[in-house]
Amino acid sequence: MNRRDLLKTTALALGAGVTLYLPAGWRPARAAAKWRIGFSQATTLEPWRVQFNKDIKAEAEKHPEVELLIADGEDKTEKQVADVENFIRQEVDALLISPKESAGLTGVVDKAIDAKIPVFVLDRNVDTKRYTQFIGGDNVVIGKAVGDFVVKALGGPGKATGNIVEIWGGLGTQPAHDRSDGFHSVADKEKGLKFLLDKQSADWKQNLAYDIMTTALRNFEKIDLVYGHNDPMAYGAYLAAKDAGREKEIKFVGVDGLPNEGVVWVNKGELAATFLYPTPGAEGLRQAIKLLNGEKVEKTIVLPTMAITKENAPEILKQNGLG
Amino acid sequence: MTVLRLLSRTKLYWGLLVILLIGIAFSPVSGSGRNIFLSYGNLTDVLRQVSITGLVAVGMTVVILIAGIDLSVGSVMAFGTVLTATLLTEDGWTSSATVAVPAAILVAFAAAFLLVRFLWRGLRPQAGPVGARRQAARDPLRDGWIPGAAGLALAALVAAWLVPQIDTKFGVPALLLAVPCTGLLVGAVSGAIIVAGRLQPFIVTLAMMVGMLGLSRLTAGQDSAVLPVYAGTNATEDIELLRSMLWGVLPVPGLFFLAAVAVFAALLRLTVFGRYVYAIGGNEEAARLSGIPVDRVKIAAYAFSGMLATLAGILYVAQYRQGKPDAGAGLELDAIAAVVIGGTSLMGGRGALAGTLVGVLIFGLLSNILQLHNINSNLQLVFKGAIIVVTVLLQERNLADLLAPFRTARAARQAPAARTEATGQQGSSLIHREGTQP
Repeated sequence: MNRRDLLKTTALALGAGVTLYLPAGWRPARAAAKWRIGFSQATTLEPWRVQFNKDIKAEAEKHPEVELLIADGEDKTEKQVADVENFIRQEVDALLISPKESAGLTGVVDKAIDAKIPVFVLDRNVDTKRYTQFIGGDNVVIGKAVGDFVVKALGGPGKATGNIVEIWGGLGTQPAHDRSDGFHSVADKEKGLKFLLDKQSADWKQNLAYDIMTTALRNFEKIDLVYGHNDPMAYGAYLAAKDAGREKEIKFVGVDGLPNEGVVWVNKGELAATFLYPTPGAEGLRQAIKLLNGEKVEKTIVLPTMAITKENAPEILKQNGLG
Repeated sequence: MTVLRLLSRTKLYWGLLVILLIGIAFSPVSGSGRNIFLSYGNLTDVLRQVSITGLVAVGMTVVILIAGIDLSVGSVMAFGTVLTATLLTEDGWTSSATVAVPAAILVAFAAAFLLVRFLWRGLRPQAGPVGARRQAARDPLRDGWIPGAAGLALAALVAAWLVPQIDTKFGVPALLLAVPCTGLLVGAVSGAIIVAGRLQPFIVTLAMMVGMLGLSRLTAGQDSAVLPVYAGTNATEDIELLRSMLWGVLPVPGLFFLAAVAVFAALLRLTVFGRYVYAIGGNEEAARLSGIPVDRVKIAAYAFSGMLATLAGILYVAQYRQGKPDAGAGLELDAIAAVVIGGTSLMGGRGALAGTLVGVLIFGLLSNILQLHNINSNLQLVFKGAIIVVTVLLQERNLADLLAPFRTARAARQAPAARTEATGQQGSSLIHREGTQP
């Protein structure tokens, strides 16, 4: 086979591949709607973001008068800035944005506000107060709720004892620090609790948590509880303990409470509890529609958390069609 | 002097030994007074933890030996995890099945074709230099029909085995065939583009890295960032085999890694293909002119790399019970670092798989030691960066080379008159070197 033939064959093979895959990524826009609402998502590679998108899409299905445009920032600030600029140029009626980070997206949010587009900031805030509304959970509150649960599970206030492994999310991210600070504000009061690891980060990932836990299990003969800053990390630690045959003596607690992840694991008894970090998807769209209908909206909405344990897990699964 | 030379030749292994000694000496001790680092369980943990990066590094070694680079391995590994997870948990003609099954059939055909043709030709007495084989009269029966029939036969066998499994869910043996075959094809496409377009491997594999990430995400579907695999509920329990301890001694991922090292070390050391790899890495043009089928060897190298990356993907799913499109982010750099720590030159033509094995182990042991000492995650990254620089410095240069600048500086101070001349010369040689860069 000479070089040109090879090139042709390769091109053909690639072409075939693309044709095969095109239908999966192709989706026509909905026709004729009263309002067009743009939603700029930071990334869709994390399960929580996927759930976020599912929630907002499900809410949009209930409102035929709304055409929802979703842009994926692909976890890059510059891509998300471009997405928002694109929405401004399309003159959407309202803009929902879940920023990848505060500083990098403040400028473009200002630009949208200058263009008289109402802006709803979801989950992570920006460095301006001119937006229409902020909706998000409070990670410090969630951390405190985890702390209360842990203290109760290990003996109750004042007499809790045990060795705790805390597996951090990304060390450079605010949610990880908030979830840790809230937790320690409660747990540090207990003299009987010992914290075994020093800021070990698994970067929110199940596989890294697995490896950290494997080593921790070698290193410490008595571990009573693992607190993962999200469910996949708690589950990764559970899997490591299971492979070491020690999962029965350890309780695992996570955060996020996604129906297809944390709730499933709690329901199976693998995690002791998870704490809901609600996505602002559905509420965000409802608030935007409310505003477009001429009603007033509040400046800030804090979404409440909820402990998910073996008792209420089956019901949540049923609500999400997973029961 | 000979002792010194021996030391210098085996310095790689000394590095491993030093790391081991450090680990043993400073290891925390368990309640019963056992050395935790040295405990058999901990050492097999390390082997298991490095085996995914290790498998990828084996393929990377072959590619780097031909003076190439494969940046796509992380994405290809992730594609492997997505394929594995969907094939394990979903039945019917999912997009994974439509990719993996034809790939396996195609590779089966090509493998049987090439093997039979190779054997058939080998039966004929050969003489003369390497290139002579090409000039021998072509025989359509020997070169085309018989190997083609063999290829079709094997392809039919593979199809007969795989296609019925689509309706249920894939078993582990079928996975171990179909997924690496897909990776092999992906790698072969990279290689073919590099060879056919005479392009830089850096750019082509970079493009492949981006493209495969997109393909993985499309295959996984819009609504799933992570594909969970629960053995026993949504998948068969066989997948558990791939992370179990073999006879309670050897972790299966480690077995795959060590087997890959052994097979590819033999391939590089004992076969004609291996000699060709070193020849191409040493001087591609000279290799081409002496009749070595450079293009085919290069394509094969990238194909092997892709195959090993997807194999690592299967083990990833078995180990962490999930497949996800961003699983392999940064893996290519870990693999390259391990290869380079192992003494393989990025310029190609120099190095060995034994070095890569050591490089991978040094990295894994280092992580383990830092983790056992409960060092802050951020500080761990700093240590890892430092260890790469130090080991590569020791690898690439002799101590004398490192000290040379200081020596010249001293000489220049002693003879100030000679200094201007010396710097002038250095400048011109630099320009000269830049001019000859391809």
